[in-house]
Amino acid sequence: MVATRRTDGVVVLASIAVAAVVAALPQLGASSYSQILVYYAAYYLALGQSWNLMSGMTGYVSFAHGALAGIGAYAAVIALNAGWPMAPALLAGPAVALLASFVIGATSLRLRGVAFTFATLFFQELALLVLRKMPISGGPGGLALQDIVPIWLPQLLMIVLACGATIVMVALRGSRTGIRLLAIKGDETAALSLGIGAAKMKVALFCVSAAIAGGAGAIHGLFTASLYPDVVFNVDVSLIALAVPMIGGVATAMGPVVGAVLYVCIGEAFAIFAPSLHVVAVGALLLLVILFMPTGLAPFIAQRLCRQSPRATNAVEGRTP
Amino acid sequence: MTITLALQLLVNGLVVGGLLGLVALGLALIFGVMRVVNFAHGEFITLGAYLTWLIAGGLGMSPLLGVPVAFLAGAAVGWAVQTLLISRVASRPSLDMLMVTYALSAIGLGLFSLAFGGDFRSYSEGPNGEVHLAGVSIGLRGLTVLCICALLSAAVMALLRSGHVGLALRAVAQNREAAASCGIDTRRAERTAFSLAVGLAAAAGSLVSLIGTTTPSVGHDWVLDGFVVVVVGGLGSIPGALLAAVLIGLVQSFCGFVFDDAWAKIITYVLLYATLLLRPQGLLGQPMEA
Repeated sequence: MVATRRTDGVVVLASIAVAAVVAALPQLGASSYSQILVYYAAYYLALGQSWNLMSGMTGYVSFAHGALAGIGAYAAVIALNAGWPMAPALLAGPAVALLASFVIGATSLRLRGVAFTFATLFFQELALLVLRKMPISGGPGGLALQDIVPIWLPQLLMIVLACGATIVMVALRGSRTGIRLLAIKGDETAALSLGIGAAKMKVALFCVSAAIAGGAGAIHGLFTASLYPDVVFNVDVSLIALAVPMIGGVATAMGPVVGAVLYVCIGEAFAIFAPSLHVVAVGALLLLVILFMPTGLAPFIAQRLCRQSPRATNAVEGRTP
Repeated sequence: MTITLALQLLVNGLVVGGLLGLVALGLALIFGVMRVVNFAHGEFITLGAYLTWLIAGGLGMSPLLGVPVAFLAGAAVGWAVQTLLISRVASRPSLDMLMVTYALSAIGLGLFSLAFGGDFRSYSEGPNGEVHLAGVSIGLRGLTVLCICALLSAAVMALLRSGHVGLALRAVAQNREAAASCGIDTRRAERTAFSLAVGLAAAAGSLVSLIGTTTPSVGHDWVLDGFVVVVVGGLGSIPGALLAAVLIGLVQSFCGFVFDDAWAKIITYVLLYATLLLRPQGLLGQPMEA
């Protein structure tokens, strides 16, 4: 346990250090292309980590995280266009996502099994259909942010959010709550019999996770400055949210970091060589990782690197020795 | 709303319901026997639709030939996917199995887009024209679809009710361990169920191409309604799935006329939430264990 706490501290400090360096990239004279790649890595990390918090830790698969980010983006842009100051407008994103997740969670998380998966899947479809109908969201034609903000603002905010989400994940893994959640994932009936109140905890966790996704969406709304329902609620966004942690290493803190960096690399490589094969490549990679590296890439590599030292492996996987 | 109009909408709803029935039958079969939601089901529908488009539009043969061809091709692909991929993760947490089918769905969607582009495909071969009956006009294509759907559903129900295969499938669905200890080959039952279900999805896709246009995402759109049907009917309950399919088909037909197609979809999806909230076990499903 002591070793885990110490590595947790190291991981947190390292995350902050990396985030600080990355955030300082514009001052260090990095090209705007590399800054945008860093931004996207941070965006994917924030989305992936928010999915990981809920679905990775509990095993209840959410397909709604893309849509939660989408309604966060809409809320922030609508609020900014209505003349709200920046801070409350940005907070409107997570607030709306949290509210939506509470409704989905309260209706479906008291049920076991796939009810939650269906409830989240159809939330995605409903959000798209409803926003295409509503005049306030600009209908199918979408919505533009009227006052463009300087690009460094969303870039900085996204890095802070991604770093914060990773720290939350580290803290959760080391906490009693995290152990309780993994117990639910392992065997919900057994966890219940030990007095772990599963339903409330799952709803609360889903709300936290949704607020992070909504925040990522709100910041991304600032970044893109224009929202089209068919793009914002594209199935691709939900694929990112779950592929990043599943490929990197589900229920670990560092897995989504590996997954997000890899996702950006795949995206760029395929944008140059074969744009139409991008989704196929992500799907195939996801399939290969699940079949041959069930714990994900990061723990798999860590195991290969420190085979002689089980303690180091445990630290990377976040297991207590 | 006149009676003629209502009858017309009823017939349209039954055609949609019949197709949804085939899709949901497969989903319920897979869920019943393997306890997994097959997210790749929609891509097998698309496979059947494109196969039939190739047979009718490309080779100029009757699209009705596409139904058995799609069924056999689907069954073969389903058998391979189950044996090579899904059975490997069968003993893992359900998250992994779900993710495998989801990854397959992404791969399938990408490959269909790559091979066929985003064009809307249709063909003029096969039954055309309409029959008029008491003021209701029924397209010959719709009528064909309805008849084949009814025939296929009845055949599958008969297969499940009698014979060794059906008995084995029902036994595994009821209690896996007990079935295995009675000497039933559960892995073979899983392969059979998956292969049959995928065959049905491809056959449904073949019929979808007959009454509509084929795009890379045609199966995705149908399978979403199929998911609503299996939840409303009761997960894993086959009679429930068929009942709910007709119900959802009628809801879509009537709401699509009164409002529009987007609202019909919204209402369908709200029905899913209402079921989860008010009757989680669905119309004919067993109450889920606590």
